[in-house]
Amino acid sequence: MVELVPALLRQELARLAEDDQRLDGRGRWESREVSLETDCLYNAEGSAKVVIGGTVVYAGVKFELRTPWPDRPTQGSLMCGAELRPVAGRKYEPGPPSPQSIELGRVVDRGIRESGCIDMESLCIVPGEKVWGVMIDIHVLSDQGNIFDACGLAAIAALRTAVVPAERFDVGEDHKLQVNGTPIMASFTRVGGRFVLDASEQEELGGDERIHITLGDEGHLHSLQKGLKGVFTPAEFAEIFDVAQQRCVELRNLVSKVEGN
Amino acid sequence: MGGYGDVQLLRDDGTRLDGRKVDEMRPVTIEAGVLPAADGSAMITHGLNVAVAAVYGPMEAHPRKIQRQDRAVIDVRYNMAPFSTSDRIRPGFNRRSREISKVTADALESVVLVERYPRSKIRVEIEILAAEAGTRCVGITAAAVALADAGIPMRDMIVGVASGKVEDTVVLDLDKAEDNYGQADLPVGILPNTGEIAFLQMDGDLSPDEYNLAMEYNFKAAKEIHEIMVDALQRRYQGGEA
Repeated sequence: MVELVPALLRQELARLAEDDQRLDGRGRWESREVSLETDCLYNAEGSAKVVIGGTVVYAGVKFELRTPWPDRPTQGSLMCGAELRPVAGRKYEPGPPSPQSIELGRVVDRGIRESGCIDMESLCIVPGEKVWGVMIDIHVLSDQGNIFDACGLAAIAALRTAVVPAERFDVGEDHKLQVNGTPIMASFTRVGGRFVLDASEQEELGGDERIHITLGDEGHLHSLQKGLKGVFTPAEFAEIFDVAQQRCVELRNLVSKVEGN
Repeated sequence: MGGYGDVQLLRDDGTRLDGRKVDEMRPVTIEAGVLPAADGSAMITHGLNVAVAAVYGPMEAHPRKIQRQDRAVIDVRYNMAPFSTSDRIRPGFNRRSREISKVTADALESVVLVERYPRSKIRVEIEILAAEAGTRCVGITAAAVALADAGIPMRDMIVGVASGKVEDTVVLDLDKAEDNYGQADLPVGILPNTGEIAFLQMDGDLSPDEYNLAMEYNFKAAKEIHEIMVDALQRRYQGGEA
């Protein structure tokens, strides 16, 4: 069955794209306003709230003591998960984690993990016996498009402001979690035939594939993901990659600014 | 109630550990319309508790067997975020959250004019982001504001409040230590205009007199919180955003 609204929406998005316009009047590489707040939740050892347009996301960091994997006796662990609960929008239903939420959590996880910003050795307390498990949980409360960037930003901001609750677990003094770097995600969606930055909910509904790029402080790639049906050319990637570089610098500066306060 | 024992919860001057008087509630702030994806929403902070509620609907009730020919069904999900408590909670429903969801739905169905929307469903999502005792009450209050924000007709608001007993003294609005080490907890959902009660639970040990005093405190607090709820809705709609 052809879905009537997306079909009409696609037509409209294609028409706008011809004049290089977007539904909400933004430029092709223009983001909606991004706001970031950290240390906003009691009980989370690190927390962040990100608002991008009408998208609202929280991330919280928790720690647990665990025994290390036998083959990595001196390394702690990091886990990042995302929940797309029914609170986030009309289209979300209760039930076990959807493939969508698993993809979301894993893409954010890879960006942080592969950037090497967390030194797993630094999470070791007693080799072979006791290490920290760091868990980042992302909670999407309102999805109005581009939850990936919101989740990526919330996760790294929560992590960067996290305090290791050593006293509560009786293993020393509380201290700031050591985080060496600020990996940032930039996401692009094909709308009306060309890629745009920070797609809105409507653009996602009437759009095609998306590409997520996570860059480290030096501008190196740490995670890539193409999602949904569609293909793209190397030339298209080159174009969005340049935009991603700028976008990541901007968001990284935002994290530094909020941390500095 | 947890272990009543060695923990001192009242100071010698009769005030509580956080400096509150016995009949004083924690500070409450409420903001309506915080989640753009929802038809109605509210965020509440109550002490260190942080909760949001989102309302979707009225919408077609699915699956069909949950439909009621003469009224809407209210589908409530109360959920604690994994990072909302001291020890991380594994995502997903548990018996506690299922029970709270059910009694919250029962309470909300008592105030929403459900007969206006036969065969439909109103979804209420309550997410606890930070928990410091009293989250079910906080969730009910947030849900009521979110329902009003969604423009769903109700015969009254409903306010979630709790009183309890620590060291043989009745106190209003238990904090975390009082909840853990106290002797009783009496959470209620009060209709501020009619003075009726749509939600009631209790555990612990209360004498009839202590119950009466706890209820008196609850009604006093409900009045205060109701003013904050109304103020949140007025702020939301004075700008003509509706």
